[in-house]
Amino acid sequence: MIESATFHVITTELVVGSFALAGLCFVLHSLVSIRNKESQFVNMMDSTAHIALLFGILALPFAISSGISSSPSGAHTSPLLANKMLLSTAGGGLALGVLFTRWRMGYGGSSQHLHNAFGSISTGCMLLTASLGGTYTRADSLTEFLPFVKETTLLLPAWMSIFVMLIVLAALIVRQTSTIKHG
Amino acid sequence: MKQKLILLLALSLIVPLHVSGNPGGVGNSLENMQCGGACHGDADQNATSNLQLSLQPSGTVWVGQPAEITVQISGFDTSHDVDQIGIFLLSSTNANNDIPTTDGWTILSDGMGGSNNYIEYASVDSNVLTHSWVLRADEVGEKLLYVSVHHGDNVGNDAGSPFFGVSQAFEISVEAIPEDLQRINPEYRPPTSREIGESTVLCLETIAASDVVIEWREPSGESYQVEATENNECWNAVLPSALTASTIEWRAILDGEGPQQTTPWFSLTSVEPSWEADETALMLQSVAHIVLFFGLVLLVRKPKPSNDAYKAYMEETI
Repeated sequence: MIESATFHVITTELVVGSFALAGLCFVLHSLVSIRNKESQFVNMMDSTAHIALLFGILALPFAISSGISSSPSGAHTSPLLANKMLLSTAGGGLALGVLFTRWRMGYGGSSQHLHNAFGSISTGCMLLTASLGGTYTRADSLTEFLPFVKETTLLLPAWMSIFVMLIVLAALIVRQTSTIKHG
Repeated sequence: MKQKLILLLALSLIVPLHVSGNPGGVGNSLENMQCGGACHGDADQNATSNLQLSLQPSGTVWVGQPAEITVQISGFDTSHDVDQIGIFLLSSTNANNDIPTTDGWTILSDGMGGSNNYIEYASVDSNVLTHSWVLRADEVGEKLLYVSVHHGDNVGNDAGSPFFGVSQAFEISVEAIPEDLQRINPEYRPPTSREIGESTVLCLETIAASDVVIEWREPSGESYQVEATENNECWNAVLPSALTASTIEWRAILDGEGPQQTTPWFSLTSVEPSWEADETALMLQSVAHIVLFFGLVLLVRKPKPSNDAYKAYMEETI
């Protein structure tokens, strides 16, 4: 059987590669569309970014679960691992949102740059997560200039996390209802 | 535009020119030889280390009893620029399944507060490095052990490469223990680490021992003796707490019918209290992050009206 640490390396590299490609395409999409909205390059970047993001999202659950099982004592025993988990889920949430809005709300409009910004931020979260992995396993990474992510974790109490989820779900439901009633 | 893009991609490929193998180390752990040098890379990336490696037990190795295995690495000189050196204790050079625990050994102490076959030194001050493991053999017979090193070196043609070296095979003869010889219970595992400020109550399980004295020494080498008291199945003695992160060593001197027996020195490392968060809270916050950031993307986007509902609404209104 393959060890979870090895499986984690494989899945992480899939996630990082996919998200990096997606992030690059989101940035290029915005840059190019400022100059020429009709360019074929714009559509190509948009499609590539979302397909790469989808591929990264599909690999993400495997990366997170193998990462948890390859840690001998669990993510809750190290602030660095806890930050990795929180960053990867934040990036995953952003990426899911970006894919969902692209699928349900379509393409274009004034908010396209904001959409691309969210896609790029999700890439940033994933790359930072991967970099923290380098800090954890090799004690060396490109984010050594961010010491607080190794030592500090902003951990909410369980009740507050539930409260946040309820608030967001309520807002989404209200928003959906409001959209149907008033257009 | 296309040329600019190609130029950007070409530049991004050129930038990460300087590579080196795990400059910060990988931490003490149970590692196969495969991890020597470049865990994530091809073994062909390794350069050959010219350090001399030797290994020997400190006395007779009895089956079921702790035995000190001392490793000596020599040949450090000014041509080496060693920031980190990793040392492996191996039972074969297969590159997998070569941790001694897969060959009938139990690692009781790695001398650094754990039970690993791979340990790291952050720096080397002299030209000889000596390190000891405490192992226990589970069966009588001849066994092979190897010592292996990996390190960096910033001098010479291979500067920046992961350097790797492995010793010849050292044969260890594991002998049967005389029946009435006083000894430690083969199931006993010594503590290897504790938190700063925490004293340690030893509960040493023995066989055929009539008296036990515990001797411990400070990092400076000053030693003390503590009389152990027999309590049900074990001998109790208290090792005092440490005020700072440090490693003390202790050993047991056993009296009985046979000649006096002394165990190897066991290391006991005092570490800062470990960080631990509420696991449920962390899991819930992770889920909350997915929901929050998913919702954030949706909520800031201008809603697109649902066509059917919008049409019905407009017809009803107008």
